[in-house]
Amino acid sequence: MSTTIDVMGKTTGATSSAELAEQRHSRATVGDFTSPDARMVCRDVDVWYGSKQAIKGVSLDIGKHEVVSMIGPSGCGKSTFLRCLNRMNDTIEGCRVAGSIRLDGQEIYDKGLDPVPLRARVGMVFQKPNPFPKSIYENVAYGPRIHGLTNNKAELDELVETSLTRAGLWNEVKDRLDQPGTGLSGGQQQRLCIARTIAVSPEVILMDEPCSALDPIATAIVEELIDELRANYSIAIVTHSMQQAARVSQRTAYFHLGDLIEVGETNRIFTSPQHKLTEDYITGRFG
Amino acid sequence: MSDPRPDPPTVDPVTGHTVRRYDQELAKLRGIVLEMGERVVEQTQAAIAALLEREETQAFRVLDREPQIDFLSLDADEEVFQLIARRQPAAVDLRIVLALSKVAGEVERAGDKAVRIAHQALELQGLRADSDPLPDDLQQAVRRLDEHVCCLFERGIQALTTFDVALALGIMEGESERDRYAAEVRALLNAPDREDLPTRQRFCLLHGAHALDRIGNHGSNIAEQVIYVALGQDVRYRNREILIETLRRQGY
Repeated sequence: MSTTIDVMGKTTGATSSAELAEQRHSRATVGDFTSPDARMVCRDVDVWYGSKQAIKGVSLDIGKHEVVSMIGPSGCGKSTFLRCLNRMNDTIEGCRVAGSIRLDGQEIYDKGLDPVPLRARVGMVFQKPNPFPKSIYENVAYGPRIHGLTNNKAELDELVETSLTRAGLWNEVKDRLDQPGTGLSGGQQQRLCIARTIAVSPEVILMDEPCSALDPIATAIVEELIDELRANYSIAIVTHSMQQAARVSQRTAYFHLGDLIEVGETNRIFTSPQHKLTEDYITGRFG
Repeated sequence: MSDPRPDPPTVDPVTGHTVRRYDQELAKLRGIVLEMGERVVEQTQAAIAALLEREETQAFRVLDREPQIDFLSLDADEEVFQLIARRQPAAVDLRIVLALSKVAGEVERAGDKAVRIAHQALELQGLRADSDPLPDDLQQAVRRLDEHVCCLFERGIQALTTFDVALALGIMEGESERDRYAAEVRALLNAPDREDLPTRQRFCLLHGAHALDRIGNHGSNIAEQVIYVALGQDVRYRNREILIETLRRQGY
């Protein structure tokens, strides 16, 4: 899979589908984008917002029990790509996705596929903690209840406890489950959102800058949690903190102007990246 | 010594950071190491002059100047410490910082070897009451080794300015010649029919020549670090011939 850079096409100004098709693959990715034990397989993914192409022919696997971090400057398309993985971009008017994204072999953009259960299987944690304006208990119980994952109150109680425990929050909130989730600290709210995500038994968890609104201590707790969650879930994380990417992920993908420039073992990317753009970015020489 | 010397990189690897202060800090660390290297070359040449020409003053000067290299080594350590703590270097920057830290250690130890030569010069001075110069053949052999070692070491230091792989390979290619010069000195000193030098004086010269050879070895170690920075490959303990052949074939 290792190739060299090859600038092949224009990136702006296309309107017809033929022209749009020509814009794909402006650069080839350096490094192996496949995973031997892939949960999600993305191939030649293009995303357009109207006539502007935001993602150009990106191929990347998300493996089981691994954390893949996506880094790159603002506007490089990493969040756009992340949001494709559970069809969050469906809600954006004018957004069009092409290519193939498969979860356990199933094409997630199949017309017959309902995105609601998909988003339970591929959960998402956002930059800013966004608990529901409900109690801590209800924040976690809401998802399993609407998806019908439990049969009675006892099972739901157990699921809430398990989810909060996995999110490292149970001991801090077990005596105040009826209090509002919004009353927790920022770091606790983010862990509550993670508990809410894992309560519906996802296979993949997407995290879009999950620690950018947290202080260093809360960040460390969430990073520790990410490492623990890896045992049960596949995780894709977008982060602006390169140190965080280096700490939490096993593989790192570097995006630039909609292209996936380089992907590889995190250890290698942060010590000997092969592409100059990657090196310039992670050494602070960019721009 | 064969050294095709292709054009070195035109962009200084320590520059180009958005935060210019980072450039300055890396350049400062490299500057300290380069200064250490230049001083070690001076020290080596002075120590060998003291050994061969029986100049006691030169030997004492080497001993007096040694702490300056040690202090520079402490400065380099402090810069490394600050860079890691404040900048969290990655990729080529991390390799530069780690390599310069190791090179500072190599250069500091090379400085110790120059001091060892100066000590041998003083001991030899004490053993030779007469003012007769050392035998010509020995002087010439030691000078050949000295010139070659200093040349290799200087090139090692020079290679740090641009992390020039071709220059580093040239240093490695010069190792066999260094071995030959060192063997030549040993053979002259160990010759059983050598009656113009008493055993203790021969020991002094042997120790001095051995220290000189080790300085050359430190130069080779610096060359390994240059390749590590430039290519991201740790080439320590690799077979030299295969390494040189492989990299030369790649165009370096």
